[in-house]
Parts: sequence; C-alpha cells; structure tokens
Amino acid sequence: MEQELRTLEREASEGLEQISTANELEEFRIHYLGRKGQFSGIMEQLKAVPKEDKPRLGQLANTVKKQIEKAFSVKKEQIAAGATTSAAIGSIDLTLPGRRPEQGRLHPVTQIMTEVCSIFESMGFSVAEGPDVEQDRYNFEALNIPAHHPARDMHDTFYVSDSILLRTHTSPMQARIMEQQEPPLRVIAPGKVYRCDSDITHTPMFHQVEGFLVDTNVSFADLKGVLSVFTQKIFDADLPLRFRPSFFPFTEPSAEVDIACVICNGKGCRVCKKTGWLEILGAGMIDPEVFKQVGYDPEKYSGFAFGLGIERIAMLKYGIDDIRLYYENDLRFLSQF
Amino acid sequence: MKVTLDWLNEYVNTDGISPQEIADHLTMLGLEVDSVEELFQELAPLKTALIVTAEPHPDADKLTLCQVSVGDETHQIVCGAPNARAGLVTCVALPGTILPDGLKIKKSKIRGVKSNGMLCSERELGLSQDHTGIMELPAGTDHGLGLLEALDLNDILIEVDLTPNRPDCTSVIGVAREVSGISRRKLSRPVEEATLGGRDQRFSVDVESSELCPRYSARLITNVTIGPSPWWLRKRLLSVGIRPINNVVDITNYVMMEYGQPMHAFDFQNLAGGAILVRQPRNQETTFTTLDNIERPLEPSTLLICDRDKPVALAGIMGGLNSEVSEATTEVLLESACFDPVSVRKTARRLKLATEASYRFERGVDPGGCVVAMERAVQLLCELSGGTAEDMGRDAYSGVRPLNSLTLRISRTSNLLGMPFDYEKISELLQSIGIRTKPKDDDTLWVNPPTFRVDLEREVDLIEEVARLVGYNTIPTTLPMVHMSYPEQDKNRRLRSQAQDLLTAISFSEAINYSFTSTDHPQKMELAEGDARHEQVTLLNPLSEEQAVMRTMLLPGLLENVQRNISFQKTAVKLFEIGKVFTPTGADQQPVETTFLAGVLSGNRHGASSSLHHKPVPVDIFDAKGAVEYLLQGMRLRSNSIDTAISFQIPATDHSETYTEPGQCLIIHDKDEIIGSLGKINPVIARKFGVKQDVYYFDINFDRLCAEPASEKSFNSLPVYPAVKRDIALVIPDHVPAGELLAAIRETKEQLIENCAIFDVYQGKNIEDGHKSVALSVTYRSPKKTLTEKVVEKSHSKIVKMLASRFEGSLRQG
Repeated sequence: MEQELRTLEREASEGLEQISTANELEEFRIHYLGRKGQFSGIMEQLKAVPKEDKPRLGQLANTVKKQIEKAFSVKKEQIAAGATTSAAIGSIDLTLPGRRPEQGRLHPVTQIMTEVCSIFESMGFSVAEGPDVEQDRYNFEALNIPAHHPARDMHDTFYVSDSILLRTHTSPMQARIMEQQEPPLRVIAPGKVYRCDSDITHTPMFHQVEGFLVDTNVSFADLKGVLSVFTQKIFDADLPLRFRPSFFPFTEPSAEVDIACVICNGKGCRVCKKTGWLEILGAGMIDPEVFKQVGYDPEKYSGFAFGLGIERIAMLKYGIDDIRLYYENDLRFLSQF
Repeated sequence: MKVTLDWLNEYVNTDGISPQEIADHLTMLGLEVDSVEELFQELAPLKTALIVTAEPHPDADKLTLCQVSVGDETHQIVCGAPNARAGLVTCVALPGTILPDGLKIKKSKIRGVKSNGMLCSERELGLSQDHTGIMELPAGTDHGLGLLEALDLNDILIEVDLTPNRPDCTSVIGVAREVSGISRRKLSRPVEEATLGGRDQRFSVDVESSELCPRYSARLITNVTIGPSPWWLRKRLLSVGIRPINNVVDITNYVMMEYGQPMHAFDFQNLAGGAILVRQPRNQETTFTTLDNIERPLEPSTLLICDRDKPVALAGIMGGLNSEVSEATTEVLLESACFDPVSVRKTARRLKLATEASYRFERGVDPGGCVVAMERAVQLLCELSGGTAEDMGRDAYSGVRPLNSLTLRISRTSNLLGMPFDYEKISELLQSIGIRTKPKDDDTLWVNPPTFRVDLEREVDLIEEVARLVGYNTIPTTLPMVHMSYPEQDKNRRLRSQAQDLLTAISFSEAINYSFTSTDHPQKMELAEGDARHEQVTLLNPLSEEQAVMRTMLLPGLLENVQRNISFQKTAVKLFEIGKVFTPTGADQQPVETTFLAGVLSGNRHGASSSLHHKPVPVDIFDAKGAVEYLLQGMRLRSNSIDTAISFQIPATDHSETYTEPGQCLIIHDKDEIIGSLGKINPVIARKFGVKQDVYYFDINFDRLCAEPASEKSFNSLPVYPAVKRDIALVIPDHVPAGELLAAIRETKEQLIENCAIFDVYQGKNIEDGHKSVALSVTYRSPKKTLTEKVVEKSHSKIVKMLASRFEGSLRQG
C-alpha cells in the first residue's frame, strides 16, 4: 500500500512534467484525481487495510494527494497563462484600422474668420455684424464716397435698387456703430461682401473683417502696432511687414499693408508677382469727414480702421490656388482643413 | 499709368538709380508699381536686312524673289510687297520667329520657290497701321542688326496702378515729379510757364456754364501739313500703348501723356462761324456721332463743344466725326480745357465710353495747367507739321477758383502720425514735390498747394503728404493706450459657433454657398403657391442667371453641393450651412435677413469609414431627426426628460413641405410657431438637382433657436437607491404612433417613473396583420428608499392597463 502510494506520487509528478496543453492536463486530472481515478482506487483500498495501519496510511495518502493537487494547480496556471499569450498572437490582427468616428470639418473660411476674430477679441475688440443688403448711404455716402466719385470704380457694386445694394465691404459697420455709440470704441465687423467680378482671383462673394478703434490720441503709429501684432499672430511668425501709402476715401492717411511673401520668403515668385511682398490689409486713420457724418468732433477724437479679406489669408496660409474652390463645397476640398 | 524710363529721364535725371529702385520708391510713395518690364520684347528676334537683288517670281505676277543679306548670311525670300526692291533696308523675320500677332514664321515654298522667312510691314510688327508695303528703314542702316537696336527701342516700361486721388500722376511729368522729390533731383519741364489771350482772332470761345467747364483755352494753327509723326514721337506713344495716327493727333496724345492735359484738335474749316460754344444740347440735338463713327444718344445734361450750328465734340470724352482732323486739314483749332469731373464721369458711364481723356477729367485736371500744355503742343505742331501759330489764342477761365491757402499744425501732424515733427522737417518734405510753405505761428504753417494737386484741400490731406514723404516705414510702431473694457459677446455668434462645433463632431462638414441664386429655385423645389419663399430680392445687375436673386432658402444650394460631391464619387455626403436668407419688404427697402441652419444627408451613414467595422447602411429620416435632437440637446434647448418649447410634429399631408416625400416630413415647432422642418427630399425634386440617391434634410430658423432660452445647468443629487426596470411588449394597431405611448406614460406624472423609452418595434411573424409590437422599458426609482417588488408592480400594472385600454393594445404573448 505504502509502496503503491510512493509509486503513484512519482508517476504523477513525472507525468505532470510532460504535460503542456490544457487537454493533457484534463486527462491527467481524470486519470489521477477524477472520481474513478487512481486516487479514488487507493482510497477504496484504504478501507481494507488493518485498523492499526489506517491512520498512518491515511495521512500519507492525504499528503500525497495534496502534493499532486498542488503541482496540478501550479501547472494549470502555467498553461492558462501560456494559453492567453499564444491565443492572442494570430487571432486578433492589430494592424487593422481602429473604429474611428467620422469627423466633419468647418469651412476654411469659418476657421480663418474665427482665428482673426479671436486675435482681435483678445485685444479687447468687440464683434458686430451688419446687414448684407445695405443702404447706399452706409456703404458709400457715410464713408466719404459720394455718387459719381471715381472711388466708386474700386467697388463693382451689385444693386438691388437705386439706394439699396449688396455691401461691397464691411466698412458700413463703421458708420452704423459710430452713429449709435460714443468713443472709446474697439470693434471688428466680420461678414460677407459682394462685388460683381468673377475670375480665377475673384469670386462675386467673399468675406471680410473690418476693424476700427476710436479714442482720444490714437495715432498712425498705433495702427501700425495693432496690425503688426495681428499679422504676427495670424501667420504665427514674425514676418517682415511694410506699410505703404494708398487711398481709401474714408481714411487719411491710408495704407496698404504687405507681408513678406510666405510662399517664397520674400525672394519673389509668381504669387507675389516677383515683388517679394503680399498685400493683405487695407488701413488708415479714419477721415475727419467720416467723423463729421456721425457727429464726432474730429478735433477731439482720432482713430484707425482696417479691412482684410478672409479668403486671401486662407489662400496664403493653406496654399489654396483657386478662389472658386471656396464655394463649390467639395468634400475633397473641405476635408483638407 | 504707363511711363518709360527713357521718357522719365527727359524730366528728371535717373542716372545711377535702377529701374527696380525707381519702382520701389514709387510704390512706397503710394504709386503702386504693377510691373517693370523691358519693352518690345516680342520684337527682339527680328533683324534688319538688306535686299541685295529683287527679281520677279517666275510663276506669279505680284511676287518678288529677293536675295536678302542678314549680317553674314544670305537668304532667299519671296515677298509680295510692291516696295520690295534692291538696296532697301527692311526688317526680316527668319524661320522660327513668332510675330507680335502670334504668327510663327516657317520655311516654305511659295508657288514652287523656296522662301526662308518673311519681310515685314510696320503693321505686322505692331508699329503702325501701315501695311502698304514692307518697312523702310533709313538707307545706310546696317543689316543683321537686332530691330530693337536699329530702331532704338530698348526701353523699360513701368506701369503704375494709380489710386483715384492722384490725378496729377496721370502724366509722365507727374510721375517724374515724385521721382524728383524722393531723389531730391531737379524736375525740368519743356514748358514751365505760358500765358494766352488776345484780340482780333478769327475765332470765338464762349462757355455757357463755367461750373461744368471752368476753363477753355484754344489756339489756331495754320499752314499745317498732316503726315506721319517722326519716329521718336511714334516710338514714345507705342511704348505706352497708344496707336500713332498722324502728326496732329499724335501731338495731342503726346502732350496729354506728358502733362496730363487731354487735348483735342478740330479741323478749323469744319467749325461753322469759327465759333466754339461750350453748352448743353438744344432741343433737336438728341444724338451725336463721335469720331469712331458711332451715334451716341445725348441727354439734356450732356456737356458738348459746339460750333455756331452744331455739336462738334463730347466735352472731355471724344471729338466728333464732323470736325475730325483729316489728311486734307490745313488749319487746326487746338483745345486745352478743364471740365467738371462729375459731368464727364456721368456721360462716360452712361455711354460706356471710357477714354484716356475721360479717365483724366473724371479724376480732376489741373485748371492751372491748360495753358502750359497748350504752349507745349503749339511748339511741337509748329516744329513737326510746319504750322504757324496765330497770335495769342483764347482763354475762358471764369470758372477757375482762386488758390486756397491751407494751414497745417505741427502738433496735429505729430499727434496723428505718432512721431515728432518740426517746421523745418515738414517744409523740407513738402517742398520736395513743389508744395510751398511759410511759417504762420509757432505751431502752424501756411501751405499753398500747387494747382495740379487738386486732392490737397484740407489739413489732413497735408498730413498724409508728410507721412507719405517721410515714409510710412519710418513712423514708429506702438500700441495704443486705451481704457480697459470688456467686449460684450454677441449671443447669436456664440451659438452659431456652438452649432458648428456640434455638427462637425457628428460628421457634418460645413458648406458656404453664394447668397445669390438662380431665380427658379422656388419652382424647382415646387413650393406651394403663396409660399413666402417665392418672393425674392432681385439684383439689377447680376453676373448671370444663376446668381440673379438673393436666396430665400438654403436647401437648393446644399442639394447642388450633394450633386457635385456625388459626381466626384463622394457618395456619402453630410453637409450643413448656417447662412442668411432674404425676404423683400418693399421697393427701395432693405430686406429682412434671417439666419437659417440647414443640413443634408445622403448615402452611407458611416461615411467613408471602413466597412470593416460598420457595414454600409444608407441614412434614413432618423439620422436627420437624430441630428436635430442632438443639436437641440447640445444647445440645451431640449432634453429627454423635460418638456421643451421645441417639438417635432407630424403635419397633415397638405401641410408637409412640398419638396418632401409623402409621409416623411416632420415640422419643427417652437410652441405653436413653425420654425423649421426635416424629412426626406422627394426623389422627383432631388432628381431635378441631378441627385439620384435618397437625400434627407433639416432646415431650421436659426435666429429663432437663438432667441429660445437655454435650460440652465443645475445639479440634481445622484440617486442613492437602485432603480427597477420593467419591460412591456404591447401589440397595438399599426396606425398608432409609438411616440404617443411614451407621451401617455409621461402624462400620468407617476412619481416613481424615472424614465421610459422605446427599445423595439416589431411587425411580422406572430403579430396579427395591421398591428405592431412596441417594446417599452420603464425605469422606476424612488429617491427615498429601495423599491419593493410590490410597490413597482402596483405602478407598473396601472401603466400597462392604461396603455392597453387607451391604445386598443394587448400584451404580447410569447
């Protein structure tokens, strides 16, 4: 009996060594530890041993069984751990793409518009919007552009009637706001504007942001300062800037603002017409005539105004080469931004 | 405005300054240079050639067979010109040359004889209208030279994009003045000063309205011989793009380019009564034929130059055919005048007749310059046409305003520009371009702008001159000192941005369409008669039929976008647009502008994402409805648990949007008012927009959404006790909307019900025909205790009983 137990212990421990799969382990369990297994047989025999031997043999049998059970459970854990690793390799292909939710995109014009507005809002400008269909009075007269002035040639205007038109710039908001509020003022006016002009560089509708600041003692140097900050932030670079004289009937002195060409770094290319400079803003000190029209005292107040085209900035920032793409709403275009 | 370097040099010495430097200076002075380029480059490949022998073509009467020397080479060329003769130096285009009109010269055979190039006429070279024969170069000109060199055509063209405030720079002298100012070099003009006026003349000048014609000066030149201008003059005109005509006309054009003073030459023989009368049309004068032989309608306000009997010119725009200088002309009456800018502009715009003269008069011609320019033209005429100037001419100048003297404050200049100035600096700058100054007091200057600077009328105009001349880039860069304030945010703008973010997060991309659309969109959408969206704001001058009216709805534009995307193989489309629509309010009134939010959905629900994880499923109306529910929830305008003002309602058939498929339209209400709709676009309508796949949409008045108060964020304690969920499967008649079951449950206001939801609707096997099984789940919870089975059962059975009796339902068996 004792001999049999020792043999069983040895065989079981050797058998366990050989086992490497869960199936073999199960066979082992059935063979040794199962209800009709080897151990059950020995326990059965135990009933027949002489009474005085029973406690000793019984204890031995128990110890052997516990040892086998312990070795079995260690093996079982080993196999289980091994199984997870090997099963993973081969059954889940991790090179497959993730389950990615589809994402929509904001129109690039909206993106740039938001960026432009937030730069000025950070500098304390408030945002105001006005009508697209505007009165001649606000679009022209109040901005010192009387009827039959050659400056009207700079605006190819869509008319709805003699005195109603599609605004050609967002500058009418200057007059609208100043009519209602007293200085100090810091306002930007984003929106759609319209000109009857359509070719590879012009669409009949585009987006502008007008801005103006009115207070006592505002100077041209201040205009340069604010616009320098803006161009640095919007292009995220300390680009060379130049201010050069220009003409707008509602500002004097008037300026065009050029940045060093972002395409060729100022060396001269097709986009900058070999000048190395790109025009991005029109600006100037608000003309005293505009102040008089809204009842401000031009001796007391001064201010500057500026206007910029959103599509133009988007073209420069993103390298878009055909302005007509903006309004085709082609997903192949929209999804790039 | 075009000027050439050679021409500029006539008035200011530009030695040592490169053309590019001149261009940069001009640009930084506010005369933006568009381009700097070498002139006549298209003529660079052409060469001078000597005809050595010229014999008749063996096989054609009118052709000549020429042996031509071009430097060391000799070529045989067949020529059709009558003046092709031995000994003539002319111009040759050898094979490979492309002529200015685009013609490429090739080796060829003409009537069996080889021809190795072409001898050119002046017209073929774009140098004149002369096509009577090949070009005749002065005898003794070397052959084999480049044509540019032989004709001294090497020059550089500088093109300036002039702003409307600088009429003084519509002349070469005007541009030269700016160059002289910046380089501090002297400006010299061929004629600096002149006077006019005498008695005993053979002609009279009378101006009826001196407001419309402040000045009119005229001189009579006799013994004129009309002929071609000398080459130097033709070359100048050609270089700035003006076609040479004859010596008299060329001189008037030349002086206009030189001084900026438009001039006109009348054939004096054709001026009845030797009279010039500046007036508006008489009653019977309704049309006038200009020298381009076009009959132009006149209006009572059109300013005319007339003789005793009839109009002879449209003042400041174009002369008449009846008094044009011709080859027979021997006496010329020369006009140098100044007309009212608005009057000239109105007429030029009305007649769509923009000329070099009208361009200048519209901007303002120097009334002080008429006589100087006249003197210059007279000198040239006498020199180049053999003419004689009759006495002193006439000068009517009663409309010329006296010169104004302006004051300029040094402190104001310094404050406005943000840098310090003093008297010396300001006067030095202004005097560099001929503006005289003298001190008035410690802070003030007297400034006398010259007459050619019609734009200098106010102190601020002078400050701009100072800024321009000192250079904008020398003005410092500072930030304004301002009072701190909080910029109020526009609520609608903030909500718009929120809606944009919400929709892009659920895979809608943003579209922006033109605000103007095709007139026929309302018809295409089959809007009902009387639908307000038929009423459109119409443009008077649209670019095309497709952009003729302001839109009254966003959907047509989005449908066009769907079509475009599908045609480029993007069949899964989800787009939205937030934009204005326009409702007319009356003639000469601004329309009402309302912001709408619209979206379209078509094709695969999962878009372009891999079908690996999502089997492709086409979108349906619940995607559209879900998007709106999600948007409203995101904007805190609607939630699952509470009743909100905004609701979806199933319209009666005749109240659906006309462009939807029957039974697939929901109307969005704000209380009792309709603020939008969603549904499926009727395939018939979609097809009209070229879309063959199903399209779903939503369309909401966004201004109304913005006006709706958003629910406040407020905290509710987290439940402590567990919830109990009970399901009901109720078989009800098909026609009962499932949503009404939920509404009925909510109506009971049963305290313990936390939530109720539909989780399945089933029809088919085991369900009686004309019925459906709706599976609901009801969640019970008490904030005070754990609910017992008994309590839940009591509530739940009440709900089940209520539903069954109210909706003719039965509990589903099995």
